[in-house]
Amino acid sequence: MNQNNKESDNSSGQSKRVESLLESTLADSGIPSRPAILERVHVEMNKEEPDLNLLARIISADVALAGGLISIANSPYFGFHGRVRSVNESLMILGLDIACRAIAGLILRKLFPVTQALERFWDASAGIAQLSGWLAQRHDLGIHVPASDAYTYGLFRDCGIAVLLNRFPYYNEVLMKANEEKIRKFTEIEETQCPTNHAVIGGLLTQSWWLPEELSMAIRHHHDFELLQKDDSTLLPPHTRGLIAIAQLAEHLFQRHTGLSKTQEWEKSKEVCLELLEINDDLLQILYLEGAPILTKYD
Amino acid sequence: MTESKIDPTTGLLDRYSCLQLAAELVDLAVENDQPLAVLWIDLDRFKQINESFGYDGGDNIISVVADRLSERVKDKVKIGRISADEFICLGDNLDIEKAEKLGAEIMRAIELPLTMGDFKIRLTASMGIAVLEPEESASEFLERADWSKNTAKKLGGNRYVISGSELVPSHMGIINAREELEVEYLLHTALDNGGLQLHYQPILDFKGNVLSVEGLMRCTVNGKNIPPVRFFPVAEVSGLIVRLGEWSLLQGTRQALHLSKAGLSTTVSINVSRGQLSDVRFAQALHAAIILASVKPQLIELELSESLFMDDSDVVQTNLRTIRDMGVSLAIDNFGTGFSCLANLKDIPATKLKLGRAFIMALPEDRRAMSVVKAMVQLGKDLGMTVIAEGVETKEQMEALRELAVDGIQGYYYAKPMDVDTLSTWLTDRGAHESK
Repeated sequence: MNQNNKESDNSSGQSKRVESLLESTLADSGIPSRPAILERVHVEMNKEEPDLNLLARIISADVALAGGLISIANSPYFGFHGRVRSVNESLMILGLDIACRAIAGLILRKLFPVTQALERFWDASAGIAQLSGWLAQRHDLGIHVPASDAYTYGLFRDCGIAVLLNRFPYYNEVLMKANEEKIRKFTEIEETQCPTNHAVIGGLLTQSWWLPEELSMAIRHHHDFELLQKDDSTLLPPHTRGLIAIAQLAEHLFQRHTGLSKTQEWEKSKEVCLELLEINDDLLQILYLEGAPILTKYD
Repeated sequence: MTESKIDPTTGLLDRYSCLQLAAELVDLAVENDQPLAVLWIDLDRFKQINESFGYDGGDNIISVVADRLSERVKDKVKIGRISADEFICLGDNLDIEKAEKLGAEIMRAIELPLTMGDFKIRLTASMGIAVLEPEESASEFLERADWSKNTAKKLGGNRYVISGSELVPSHMGIINAREELEVEYLLHTALDNGGLQLHYQPILDFKGNVLSVEGLMRCTVNGKNIPPVRFFPVAEVSGLIVRLGEWSLLQGTRQALHLSKAGLSTTVSINVSRGQLSDVRFAQALHAAIILASVKPQLIELELSESLFMDDSDVVQTNLRTIRDMGVSLAIDNFGTGFSCLANLKDIPATKLKLGRAFIMALPEDRRAMSVVKAMVQLGKDLGMTVIAEGVETKEQMEALRELAVDGIQGYYYAKPMDVDTLSTWLTDRGAHESK
């Protein structure tokens, strides 16, 4: 049997599985193409003089969203620990760009049922997002990406996992296997049992939520470490490579500090990430120390 | 070098001297067979800075940026002020890797906080980086860096773009290339800001039942409509077609769910291009769209040109099998115009055959066209396919097609393409949910 036939048979089996599983989840409404509240915030943001009070009123209409935004503005990463008390203040502290992306992250989280596994997952994403933003603000790394992009990327990078966990009961096992895999690509392990992988789903989801193209491209390729080669800008744009490497390092700092969501991805990528970011052992030790306060919430 | 003129605000080379220096360095690089790089830097939102701090304040800031550039990179490159808020750095012996590293260093230097009276501001910049190519003139070389800088700006600023990673005007037909670039930017803008829409055109049988709706892409940027005939070729050339195609998959699958939840269980047909189907990840993306929309694959149909079905590349054939296996149906679009080998038609995994408008337009007066359509309808039916006629605009055409026993028709005679809301109303008014 040639490779194509194998792929076809394999995919046929997977497809039937997908279909039967979809039957049971059709009551779900799917992931919206773009949540209405995000749409309204986006429209207001694009005006020459956005009306912060109106934006605050739109956001405050959803108590959980308002609370989530205030909580993000109060995180140590933004340096206003405990002093932000209103949505209005949060918008001013975060800036509309980050606020809008943080809102997108909060809405995404709300689309999924509250389970222990998913809550842990979202917490880890939030931690990695904050560390990514913090790393991007440093001036001693070898690649430049805007902190707001790094933050958003961290927030959304693994959202495909949440979609798959929610859709397919067997995905948890696939995830465990992929997390333990030391040699093959994470996405390759997913594809042995799923018709697609979380990077493709995350890339498409963020694309449809109108996040910048470089972000969705970075999400789609975030396990393709061979594309991060320092001396080859033709594989991926520098910005995209920077996002992937920074978030990978952020995930490593997060996992090292918290001991949560252990994967083998840093072992597979550290050489190329550290080279791209121009981080030597001494600087890495400094990052371990200086990154810790951002993660106190997860202790 | 001829005498250089210095810009009084910054102490850097002025525009004229920059251009002169670039020409000289290009000649030298060619002579010595050494790389030469240019970094074109444009401060973001400088107009706002001038408005906020006045022109003196703006000049102060320009001067601070110039000092930072000099301090950081003067030993590696020659620096000049090319316009009010733009600088260029020219570095001989800089290859792309070194230039990129320098670019990152400059971005960081510009980003350092800056105090203006009581305010602390943080500047950002857009940067284009180009390395001299063989037989390139100084102006072409600078122009590439300028284009890349503009790309960086249009992508939101605060980033650098390396020339070659975007569509670049060719030496031949530079005007067309620029138009293409403009359309490409518009497409990027549309993708990033919601300027794309799928309009849907119903396909009906002769009893008026809706068989399916076909999604047709529309692009509007800043209130201006860009016709598909203009943006599709650019999307194909630039590779954006894959993104546009994925966007269609996402929208089409969601629309199918939306209609099905409203009790209007109508198949949604989505066009797929060669660029998409030749991508090894196409099937994964289709699966992902179906999972995200949480829709039954049976409610989705993909329309492909007949030549794509005949493409015997492994990737295309594997994608076709996977699509069929997952329960998504396939339609041959615009049949009869691709000069396919009819012998291969029997192996095509499609369940629907759509006759191109070129044949329909000639009906019913042209008896030869009638004969061709009759033969194609017979062929399609013998192969077990549903046969649809596209581009039906008149009652006479509709009646001729009914006589020829076509299964369904699509065209202005019954309905134009409609936006989502108009379609829902149209379907509800026709009681489409009852007719299925």
